[in-house]
Amino acid sequence: MLTKYFTKVVVRFNPFGKEAKCARLLLSAIPPAQRLSGVSVQNELLTTDTTKKPTVKITFKDKAEMEVDPSGMTFKELGNYFDRHSRKLRLKESIESQ
Amino acid sequence: MFNLGASFFPRIRLISGASQNVRFLTTAARVTVKPLQSRKTLLIDTYKDLMDKNPVVLFAHYNNLLKQENSFFRAQIQALGGKMTVLRNQLFQVYLRNSHLADPCAPSAKTEQNRTHPLLPLFKGPTAAISFSETDPSQILKFLKLLEKSSDKMFVVGARIEDQVMDITKLQQFKTLPSKSALQSQLLGVLSVLSGAGLVKTLEAGSHSLYLTLQSHHDNVEKPEDK
Repeated sequence: MLTKYFTKVVVRFNPFGKEAKCARLLLSAIPPAQRLSGVSVQNELLTTDTTKKPTVKITFKDKAEMEVDPSGMTFKELGNYFDRHSRKLRLKESIESQ
Repeated sequence: MFNLGASFFPRIRLISGASQNVRFLTTAARVTVKPLQSRKTLLIDTYKDLMDKNPVVLFAHYNNLLKQENSFFRAQIQALGGKMTVLRNQLFQVYLRNSHLADPCAPSAKTEQNRTHPLLPLFKGPTAAISFSETDPSQILKFLKLLEKSSDKMFVVGARIEDQVMDITKLQQFKTLPSKSALQSQLLGVLSVLSGAGLVKTLEAGSHSLYLTLQSHHDNVEKPEDK
């Protein structure tokens, strides 16, 4: 997963639920150095009696936002979903830098 | 001289016989899935020790921390009287499935394993266990405060407190309780107020009479020596 173009990550999940694996792997996929250099990571834990839905919401450097419910996904699928936009940004960056 | 040797002989045999028996008892072959000296067996044994000896074990999502952050957390937890252990998820899950059996490392059939252990879903992604050897809610309060300040580098996902599995909301309630000894003294206070000390006296009577009997016996034994 390309985490380079993230500026904000908001994760909401129930640690006892099915979505926990995806959400926690996403949190751990963000390198600690990047955490220091500007990505803000927020997480909110749900319990079984809350009605809120689990989400992963990511804001990119061009201020685009993508949101997805991680409960029916594998981590790979989640990574591919966010990579769609990250690859666009990477291409743009490589064209502009020439 | 020959006589002396003969008298020694049976004693030596007896001792060697006894020690053989002891040796046989202690090295009764332990059957484990992985080799006995392997790291996996050692780790499962360590996890059993961790869970059996500590009444309070908190499980935290342990994000990839920088080295200094890691040592900072470890030092802070140690100052509170706890210990942080980063777990190997698969091995910890093996332990949880077999925790009700005599030896969690021994091979077990699928049907006797506990595959619905309430803690099992917590071990997805990096996890650390923070263990406290005493049930003291004020320690947990301090620890959770420490984590709040750390801006989600590490956060508690669940806990096991004296055979009870807790999620975040339950843990938040638990941390506000006074400590166990304070609760016991409160209960004692309530009991003595309600029953005008009668109930407390009744409860105490057994141990008190035992103490008096022993004390009188002690005095009786000591008196002849004095004279």
